[in-house]
Amino acid sequence: MRSPDNRPIDNLVYDCSRELFAAYTLDMHPRSRHDFPASEELALCGVMGFGGKQMRGALVLATTREALEQTNPGNFGSQRDWVCELANQLVGRVKNRLLLLGVEILLATPAGLSGENLCPTPAKLRSPQIFAAARGFACVWIDCEFADGFELPAVPPAGIEAPVAEGDTVMF
Amino acid sequence: MDKKILIVDDSATVRQQVRVALLGAGFEIVEAADGVEGLQALTERDDIVGVVCDVNMPRMGGLEMLELVKARGRLAALAVLMLTTEGQPALVQRAKALGAKGWVVKPFKPELLVAAMRKLIAVCGSAA
Repeated sequence: MRSPDNRPIDNLVYDCSRELFAAYTLDMHPRSRHDFPASEELALCGVMGFGGKQMRGALVLATTREALEQTNPGNFGSQRDWVCELANQLVGRVKNRLLLLGVEILLATPAGLSGENLCPTPAKLRSPQIFAAARGFACVWIDCEFADGFELPAVPPAGIEAPVAEGDTVMF
Repeated sequence: MDKKILIVDDSATVRQQVRVALLGAGFEIVEAADGVEGLQALTERDDIVGVVCDVNMPRMGGLEMLELVKARGRLAALAVLMLTTEGQPALVQRAKALGAKGWVVKPFKPELLVAAMRKLIAVCGSAA
């Protein structure tokens, strides 16, 4: 495994993050790391590990409490459980996009962290992707390695069977 | 009463979201946090007519649970709806082969989940 050019996977994660937030009617906009207010508290964090022949790593979703509350209007369950589930749903989207590119990963179950001022400092000088809503922030980053010689395809290979899309129901 | 649904998901939040949706539609609910608990519920109770089941869970996943339920001859009359973040065709086909009747990729719309479960129970009930 080696450290890759992360821009293609970062772009894919960016798109999936925007889609996930939109699915919960949370209008999130990208921000630069310099725009992230020091006073904001990233209080909750969901971590999803994944692995496959071509790539392996972890995806992290960290949010402020108020951003998380907006994705869970019924206020069901605990915030820690919910940030784990959101991380799970985010990496599920990432997996579906990777499947379209002919890349298969297996997903672990999520782990949660909670605290005050969780600091987004990914390894290898990776910058988190920062999103802002009207109230609250979220950070997403993916830290992964690719197998030697592997590059994420720019276009889908022919003959790939499309996965079931998020929100869709298939009856047998 | 053919209304008891088993919800199997390791997220308590998702179980609550599904429970609220199904309770509002008149169903009764039993919950399990993983495949081990789900299998236990299906073993101990004979009044469960439907299952809403996650795929990736600790201890035992949803598809592994279905394999064991099928081996015990219980699956044919159950309306099993998989509710998961996975959309991989190979997993969907495996669930279908095991006897699941439907597959929903999260996030879900409560009204669609209820409609799907009603339809599956009607089909499974008429086939029994």
